Amino acid sequence: MRHNPSAKPRITIREFVENAPKKLGPEVVLGAANLDVNYIDSDRIQKLGLGLAGYTHYIHKGRLQIIGQSETSYLRQLDAAGREAAVRHLDLAKICCVLVTKGLTIPREIGSVLRSASIPTLRTQAVSSTAIAEVSNFLQNTLAPSITLHGVLLGMYGIGVLLLGESGIGKSECALDLVTRGYRLISDDSVVVKKIGDVLEGSSPALTRGHLEIRGLGILNIQDLFGVSAVGMSKNIDLCIELRRWEKVKEIDRLGLEMEVEEIFGIHLPKFVLPVSSGRNLSTLVETAVRIHLLKIAGHDAARNLIERHSRAIGGGE
Amino acid sequence: MRTGDLAIINQLGLHARAAAQVVRLAGEFDSSILLVREDKSVYADAKSILSVLTLAASKGVVLRMEVEGPDEDHAFDAMTALFADGFGEMPSRR
Repeated sequence: MRHNPSAKPRITIREFVENAPKKLGPEVVLGAANLDVNYIDSDRIQKLGLGLAGYTHYIHKGRLQIIGQSETSYLRQLDAAGREAAVRHLDLAKICCVLVTKGLTIPREIGSVLRSASIPTLRTQAVSSTAIAEVSNFLQNTLAPSITLHGVLLGMYGIGVLLLGESGIGKSECALDLVTRGYRLISDDSVVVKKIGDVLEGSSPALTRGHLEIRGLGILNIQDLFGVSAVGMSKNIDLCIELRRWEKVKEIDRLGLEMEVEEIFGIHLPKFVLPVSSGRNLSTLVETAVRIHLLKIAGHDAARNLIERHSRAIGGGE
Repeated sequence: MRTGDLAIINQLGLHARAAAQVVRLAGEFDSSILLVREDKSVYADAKSILSVLTLAASKGVVLRMEVEGPDEDHAFDAMTALFADGFGEMPSRR
């Protein structure tokens, strides 16, 4: 299944103000009228310094603009006319929001231009370096593209394992079996996948967190049944395991040299395809697949090693 | 593959018992049935109850359905009828 993210995520300035980390505690100084109109859609910030100095080419709409100590002291050493010119050069339509750091006071000329253009202007007591780190972190999480996938996510040996496969193939039963062996359930059936940087973070929709459905038993609350250590909030997804009906598996690599990949948000995850049939203990197979994956990460590939020894034994190169 | 839009028209929306009806019906077919709530980019397998519940679809929400498989026409029509009937919860017009 290929799922593409929908439109580019964005947040309004009001949502930013209301949800920003406590350390920032931004207060709205100017431009309250446009709090619901303007939006941020990039997790990267910009400093207005070069723009104020006249080089305005790289100002991006949708990025939070920061005015800190260096900008204000630059402006202060200009005369009043120079300050006004500095702001007038800016393409105000491209500025969605200004964040002033360190609790600084905005020079009057700048303030009046921002006010007349009704650009939301926020102030934080945090110094620029802290503010930038906090804002970037917050925006990266908030604006991360996310989708909901059909599958089961488990935390095993510290990594996130995504079980895929058509419905009724036994993903949930397999997950229950693994939970009884001490692994963690992150989500059953629906997994919310967020792309944060180069990492895919999987979690459960808030509504169904900690629940599992087994045909014949109904909806189970895993935390009530197996304790708090049996469930987890989120996990980075490192490995996919697809359960597939035996008759739908075209070709099996009997050596275990080739791995399929599952692509989510352009990130390639290694994938085992396990054919399902009676007499195969799925949870043991999944557990072993994860161990194989961990060994491979550590640089130990049993299949490759055996083949190398074999070719040496028959006296030829591979 | 057949695709179409399904509107939730009953007062209570796609609540737990309605979701159970959807899952029971979807399970009768071999085709894969995907329900998509575009505004929240939620993809749900119509054969899984937890998955369908995640849609949290209230009255007025329109879901996209994608059906693919050997009996896709039957499945598509049956699912469309179930939603059009408001999961049997519409007051009779007589």
